[in-house]
Amino acid sequence: MNGLGTSFLSRRALLASGGAATAALATGVASARIPPSSMQALIGPGYRPTEVDEQGLWQQVERVEEEIAGSNLLIKAPGIEDYLRQLIGKVGGPAARDMRIYLVRVPEFNAMMFPTGFTVFFSGLLLRMRNEAQLAGVIAHESAHFLRRHMIRQWRDMKRKSDLFAVGMMALGLGGAGAGVYTGDIARLAQLGTILTLLRYSRTLEAESDAMGARLLAEQGYPPLEMADTWQQLIGELDLSAKYRRKPRERDLSLFSTHPAPESRMKDLRATARELTVPGRIYDNGRARYLQAIAPIRQMLLDDQVKLNDPGATQYIINTLAQDGWNGLLRFYEGENWRLRNRAGDDLRAAQSYAVAVAYPDAPPDAWRWHGLSLIKQGRRPEGRAALTRYLGLQPNAPDAPFIRQMII
Amino acid sequence: MRKMAIAMTVALGVTASGCVETRQFADMQFTPPQGDYKLLVLRPNVSVSELTAGGMAQPRADWTEQARTNITNALRAQQAGRGGKMLVAERRVQVPGVDADTIAEIERLNYVVDQSIVLHKYYGMSLPTKRGRGLDYTLGEEAVELGRKTGYDYMLFLHAEDNRASTGRTALQVIGIAGCAIGFCAPSGGANQLAYASLVDLKSGDVVWFNVVQTGSQLPGVTFGDIRSPEGAALMVERLLGRMKPGRAVRKEKAR
Repeated sequence: MNGLGTSFLSRRALLASGGAATAALATGVASARIPPSSMQALIGPGYRPTEVDEQGLWQQVERVEEEIAGSNLLIKAPGIEDYLRQLIGKVGGPAARDMRIYLVRVPEFNAMMFPTGFTVFFSGLLLRMRNEAQLAGVIAHESAHFLRRHMIRQWRDMKRKSDLFAVGMMALGLGGAGAGVYTGDIARLAQLGTILTLLRYSRTLEAESDAMGARLLAEQGYPPLEMADTWQQLIGELDLSAKYRRKPRERDLSLFSTHPAPESRMKDLRATARELTVPGRIYDNGRARYLQAIAPIRQMLLDDQVKLNDPGATQYIINTLAQDGWNGLLRFYEGENWRLRNRAGDDLRAAQSYAVAVAYPDAPPDAWRWHGLSLIKQGRRPEGRAALTRYLGLQPNAPDAPFIRQMII
Repeated sequence: MRKMAIAMTVALGVTASGCVETRQFADMQFTPPQGDYKLLVLRPNVSVSELTAGGMAQPRADWTEQARTNITNALRAQQAGRGGKMLVAERRVQVPGVDADTIAEIERLNYVVDQSIVLHKYYGMSLPTKRGRGLDYTLGEEAVELGRKTGYDYMLFLHAEDNRASTGRTALQVIGIAGCAIGFCAPSGGANQLAYASLVDLKSGDVVWFNVVQTGSQLPGVTFGDIRSPEGAALMVERLLGRMKPGRAVRKEKAR
């Protein structure tokens, strides 16, 4: 599958096999930006595989889709499924009608496209998107994997290389045995070289998807620059998350990652966006539509994120979303983030957030609860009581209602 | 630890020579179904791949279709011989009396229980609390409920995969062994099969029987049946489900 996230091959295992630097010189790392105009769809509507290897792949994946379609992780909020389907219909290119999209409740930034044309989006991705254009950008990227037949191309490349490798190893071993030299070290180096070229091929495919995705996005009237902003946001989040944990951000050796490093990816996307932007055309990022569509699940998305115990990332996400304006929900979860981190002074920070949150009309009932409890903790009992009364008014059947009631007698 | 070492040695010996290996476990009180029973087979997972020269398994849709039909037919013939009535549900919606979501839940539950069985019974991580108690696992009330709603007595899960060696793979195997003559021995695996089955008693909800069959050889050209043919499929079904041993308590009772 072609995902947004990081590689599943253990980097340590690769390094342990030794000779990394030498092999890197041999394979070369630099890759040029792909011009979006060169990325044409390789399949049309109603595509069915005709060759045996692709047919085999499709058949295997059918069962996977059945599993995902029946998964209890699927989010079945009213309207969301239709909304996503409508978006993939917009930016999905010529095969838009053949593609399926599934939203699963996993609080991580990831999405993946399967070879038969269905894509799985993690709920954590929806949380991080500031507008419809950003989400449509990721959908367009995933669609491009399908339109450019990436999975079968990657599979064929792997097959060719593993065949060559097996034959090469055999020849090397036999030759070495005949000449009476030990060839184990060369064999290990060659193995690493094979894996490195596999990863490079994959990065090329990701770059293809970025270029084509940006074009599909721009064609539908979304600002193509939003795709680069998505990466900008991811870099910022990884940095702050690492800083809070007092560790350097995992600097993915770009050589070992199946995806281009976020920085180089962002630079390429900016250049692509400049190329695609037509002067004078009006682009709409669809922020209002997006907020309306995810409204039924936005609180759940924030709640799942806060509970990951990654305060750096959470703070970055909330601040990023708040660049488009603060509201009660964001302020409340800002407070939750401090409260759950629970370092010295965090209770006061949380109290301030709750106090601001309740000033907004959209503050969730729990904001009043924590605002009240914080006030009581600070010794401001009458105000605290008033806030808790408000909480009970909003949520008379809350699980802790009897407990709160006896607190404010 | 010593047991593990023995297991490893045995495993190595097996792969080097090539053979058929089966190992089954049963509930203490298990009696193989016989006579007038109703068996529900949930989405048998059958697949056939071709091993490339480099050792990757290339799934083949046409071969898989053939094997799927063959395995189902073989299963039908075998169960009818024992007197059982059988429904093979290829899709979740084909099970009468319950919705697809319930079947999905049961499948997921069974999957994790099967994983436990494999870990603790086959991978040597034996649990002291389950020592000497046969196969002591259950799907619980949900399975009993399913039996009540559907009217079936037993539920069977079946997985069968067959990896056929391509010409390129076989050539590499031949060279690898021929190389021994000049001091470079590199035998590699050829055609191999893995199949397992678990039987759930829908009256009690217990997993009453579990079996794993593995075949494989490093000798080029040696295979142990080909499930793309009706004979090969019948052979695999026979190896997997043919000789169901009763549970230990039942066998002791009989011996008396």
